[in-house]
Amino acid sequence: MTIEQQRQGFAFTGSGHPPDQESLRFRRASSPMSAQIYHEPDRGTSPAQEAEQSGSEPTRELRNMAFPMALKKAVRQVQQMQAPAQFSGGSWKQKKTIFVRKFKSNAREFLYFFSLWGKTLQKIGGNFGGGVQSYFIFLRFLVVLNFVSFLLIAGFVLIPSIVFRSVDIKPEISNANVLSAQIPADCLKYDPNPQGLVVFYEFFLDLLSGTGFMEYSYMFYGYYNNTVVVTSLVGSDFSYNLPLAYLLTAVFYFAFCLICIIARMGKAARVAVRTGGSDVRSYSMIVFTGWDYGCLGSKATKLKQRNIYYRLQVDLEEERLKKHAASLTLCNKVTLYSLRVLMFFVAIGLIVATFFAIASATTFSQKNSNVQGILGLLYTYLPSIVITTGNFLVPLLCDQIALLEKYPPSATVVVALLRAVVLRLVSLGILLYTLWNQIECHGSTDMCPCHYNHNNYQCWETSVGQEMYKLMLFDLLVSIALLVLVEFPRRMVVDHWSCKLTQWVGRQEFVVPSNVLGLVYGQTVVWTGALFCPLLPLINTVKFVILFYCKKITLFNNCRPALRTFRSTTSAFFFLAVLLFGWILALVVMIYSVAEIHPSFACGPFRSFFRMWNIVPESLSILPKGTRDFLFFIGSQAFSVPLFAASCVFMCYFIALASIYGKSVAMLRAQLKLAGQDKQFLVKQIEKMKLLSPQDNEGDQD
Amino acid sequence: MGTTASQLPKDSLSEYQELTFLTKQEILLAHRRFTELLGRDERNHPNPRVPMQVILTLPELKSNPFKTRICQVFSTSEDKDGSLTFEDFLDLLSAFSDSATLEIKSHYAFRIFDFDDDGTLDHSDLEKLVNCLTGETEDTRLTSEEMRQLINNILDESDIDKDGTVNLSEFQHVISRSPDFVSSFKIVL
Repeated sequence: MTIEQQRQGFAFTGSGHPPDQESLRFRRASSPMSAQIYHEPDRGTSPAQEAEQSGSEPTRELRNMAFPMALKKAVRQVQQMQAPAQFSGGSWKQKKTIFVRKFKSNAREFLYFFSLWGKTLQKIGGNFGGGVQSYFIFLRFLVVLNFVSFLLIAGFVLIPSIVFRSVDIKPEISNANVLSAQIPADCLKYDPNPQGLVVFYEFFLDLLSGTGFMEYSYMFYGYYNNTVVVTSLVGSDFSYNLPLAYLLTAVFYFAFCLICIIARMGKAARVAVRTGGSDVRSYSMIVFTGWDYGCLGSKATKLKQRNIYYRLQVDLEEERLKKHAASLTLCNKVTLYSLRVLMFFVAIGLIVATFFAIASATTFSQKNSNVQGILGLLYTYLPSIVITTGNFLVPLLCDQIALLEKYPPSATVVVALLRAVVLRLVSLGILLYTLWNQIECHGSTDMCPCHYNHNNYQCWETSVGQEMYKLMLFDLLVSIALLVLVEFPRRMVVDHWSCKLTQWVGRQEFVVPSNVLGLVYGQTVVWTGALFCPLLPLINTVKFVILFYCKKITLFNNCRPALRTFRSTTSAFFFLAVLLFGWILALVVMIYSVAEIHPSFACGPFRSFFRMWNIVPESLSILPKGTRDFLFFIGSQAFSVPLFAASCVFMCYFIALASIYGKSVAMLRAQLKLAGQDKQFLVKQIEKMKLLSPQDNEGDQD
Repeated sequence: MGTTASQLPKDSLSEYQELTFLTKQEILLAHRRFTELLGRDERNHPNPRVPMQVILTLPELKSNPFKTRICQVFSTSEDKDGSLTFEDFLDLLSAFSDSATLEIKSHYAFRIFDFDDDGTLDHSDLEKLVNCLTGETEDTRLTSEEMRQLINNILDESDIDKDGTVNLSEFQHVISRSPDFVSSFKIVL
């Protein structure tokens, strides 16, 4: 403890003795001296000493003293009488600190008023605990992220596009690339508008799958033009390069999301590191800090009490099991480990089978994309259906496998989570890979004059955007369907029909990890699709808002609190880490699309370019020579290699600093232990001397 | 027409703002809720004292398992009956407020858990604490074997000087490693 805290420690006991000596003093006295310990009548000396030492910030010291109000008032009077001169001298500093503190508290109150769903989150935390609350906090973060990124996209891509279209600026047919003379007529064919009258239910089908009226709209890539407004055209000092804006907005969108995630991860990591890596499920932690004083109502209190009871019981049982496992014979251990290896391969096999199913479903769906009607809808949604089914079934099976594996309960949770993460994100990756395989054509130039599969995809970017849109929509529909068809009925059945089966099944439990993985999956889909469907972040914001309210309703009406709680602090970091994986997957997809595939000839802002990325060098070539040279220099090796070396040096420095802090923390802990042992030794010595000295006295008297 | 006793004078308000962690709105709200708890004839009393039974009717405290201990810790009455004046009530809300520091919260948490008020948490204090946490009903009470195992584990982890009790600094050391304590040790009206 710092000196500051020790001084306050003296003030707390109010008797001028440090707290640990207090217990020592007390052990010798027989009468309980609680009043003396906590409300020491010796007011004159120590609070006044405290007041003198506080100097320029007397008010902060006063608040932080654990005295009753009357005592604090008396201290304040003493301070004001004692040091008027100090006040005038240090008054500017004092006024400044008071002003800063008031400003901070006012700012905090103001911001709290604006924070979205603040009261709801508090209520959720009070009734269901920190783990569930962290899910909703994560959801709120994603809503804000999506909304702000939509504003970015709207400002730079959507609104200029609308303006240019309404002003009726014709799209360019640029001759920039050599290919222009050699584009076959086939590649330029693109006819998204439906023929003739549309049947009513077709409108609904189109809404669900992004075809028809939705295809040629601001929704998808295909509608945007490659308008380049040049100064001369408009007559004023205004120029706007829409394709460049489109590409750079996508890049900045990714960078913005990365910065937000990293900033939040830093905050969460700082909190996790501060706990020093100690076992956060330790018993004293649960007992001393486990109660949530914000819990309202007797029902919530009883649930919380049961929650704590189960936690303690499970931890005690785990300890007993560990002791038992340590005493297993060699033969038992061998069987256990071989069983675990076998189950590991079984789990891998299940996951690979899911991937295979997804790949074949995607291929089948793309092959039959021309079928109309309800069957056609089913075919287009087939990949989403297979992914969702796989994500539902395989974790269930893995849970059954985990029962055989007999890991300790904490390890079981981590293993299940890892499997679920791998399943979700890699299955999405498989879907994208299959899709891209379909788009590219692998024949020679004669067979593929357009460098992509123009027979099936006249505008492949729009098709990709539609696929992402369908995935996102299906995810929302499944969540709502589960809510209505599974969770509410389950609650009805359990509440009104008590038999052994329903008691065993019980009410729904709000399982945080799988819900969070659902959110990460949804966000990854949006990131992947943002380049091809600029309105996707906006739709995703709406979807997450709907999801928030749906999950809140199901939480309060259908769920009981989880018996195994999820740690809220380390879990925040874990959620963001998984989100980062999703981001990396989306980034890989974007880089591949921008740099490796030929954009469609018939639609979109990049229709005249060989690769989407080519717009950047072309725009750079118009820049003045000085800027161009500077940018080339930054991209060249002469700059990047020293930059890389410098970042390595900085990283080594920070790693060294972190290891030094870790070592000093361990050393301080050891010192604390040693101080305790010293005290014990001294206490023993004192007792020994106490025993000796009365005998000496008796001896003298005799 | 309100009497002066039912309104908070301005200089008291600023004094309370300095001496507690509460904001002006929170102090005014606390004054309103406290006045509602008073009987009709007590409102004109200069420094009314509300008995513990009435304080425990507040919804924020009603179902808290530590409600009696909280009232006893913050009470300044001579006979230790847990009754609170308005200033005691403000002290309570200040310690449980959003902006209170870790030191204040851990100090008062220690006092609340110290059931026999002897300055340390010994075996009986810890046992009563665990019973409060898990509830007193039959199906949520730990067996005596489990209780013994649990208290031994707690003392192993937190009793650094091995005297068989947890004193204030050892308690504060455990608390400081918990990132959730400050946000869970909160009562907001």
